[in-house]
Amino acid sequence: MLTTLTPVVFYRDPIAAMRFLEAAFGFETTALVTDKEGRVGHAMMKVGESEIGIGQEWASAELLGPASLKSPVSLGGAGSQFIRVQMSEGLDAHHERARAAGATITQAPADQFYGDRTYRALDPEGHVWNFAQTVATPTDAEMEKVSGLTFKTSL
Amino acid sequence: MSDFKRPSITSGVSYRDPKAALTWLEQAFGFEPMMVVVNEDGTIGHSEMRFGDSMIFVGHEYDAKHKSPASLDGVNTQSLHLQVDSGLDALFERAKKAGAKVLREPADQFYGERSAMVADPEGHTWSFGQVIKAMSFDEMAKAGGHQEIRERL
Repeated sequence: MLTTLTPVVFYRDPIAAMRFLEAAFGFETTALVTDKEGRVGHAMMKVGESEIGIGQEWASAELLGPASLKSPVSLGGAGSQFIRVQMSEGLDAHHERARAAGATITQAPADQFYGDRTYRALDPEGHVWNFAQTVATPTDAEMEKVSGLTFKTSL
Repeated sequence: MSDFKRPSITSGVSYRDPKAALTWLEQAFGFEPMMVVVNEDGTIGHSEMRFGDSMIFVGHEYDAKHKSPASLDGVNTQSLHLQVDSGLDALFERAKKAGAKVLREPADQFYGERSAMVADPEGHTWSFGQVIKAMSFDEMAKAGGHQEIRERL
C-alpha cells in the first residue's frame, strides 16, 4: 500500500493566499476548482517535489460533525499544524524574496544545532511556514552534547 | 534511517500529549517512528514519523501559534490527507479500531476516488483517498456540475 501524505491548508480567502504563496515563496498552482460564486472547492500547489492542498474555511461545522476547519485568522493566530519546506539551496535569497513580498518574518535565517539553516514566516492569514536548508550533518552524539537533549529512534 | 530522503514538505502536527500521539498514530495508521528527541525533564521536544516517502513531525503545543485542536474547541487550521493506492477500507477500519472518531464513512466520490475522514484523539482530522476510476479534469468537471476547473490562478 503506497501512501502519500498531503497537507491541506485552510484560508478565508484561498485565492489571495495562493497569489501570496506564489509571489512570496515561489509555490506553483497546479489545480483550481471553484463554484459559480467563486468559492474554492479544491486547489493544489506544487512545493518543490511535493504538493499541498489549499482549502476554503468551512462555513459550517455540520459538514464534519464535531470537527471544523478554519484559518488562523479566525482563531487569533493559533494554528494546529505548520509546514516545513526543505530547500536544497538558496535559503537566504528565498527569505529576501518572502520579506519583499510582505511575509511576516518571525525568525531570520540562522544556523541550528541540528545542521539546518532555517527561517520562519507567517502568511497574511497567520499560517506558520518553516524553511530549512541542510548545511551540516552532526551526529546524534554531537547534537546531544550541544543541546543537552537525548536523541532516540522511538519511544 | 539512512535510506529515507527528506521530502520537500513535512507537516508539523501539534499535540498536548505527543507521546500518546506517537503510539496512537503507529497503531491507527501504521506510521513508523523515526526520531524522538527527549528533553532533560523527560518530555518530548521533537519527534518524526514516516510512512512511505512522506514524514510528519509530532510535536508539542510549543507556543500560542502551535496548538492542538483539543485546545481550540476541535478546530483544525490544516488537515492531512493520506492517499493510498489500495486498502482504503481496511485502513479506515484499523483507525476506527484504534479509537478514531468517524467524520465521514468510506464512500465513492464523483471525481473517481473513494474517500473517508476521521479525527484522532486530540481532534486532528485525517482524510483518506484512493483512486477507483481514473478521470481527466474535463470528466471531473462534467461529473461535478457547474464548476470551473483550471490549472492556473
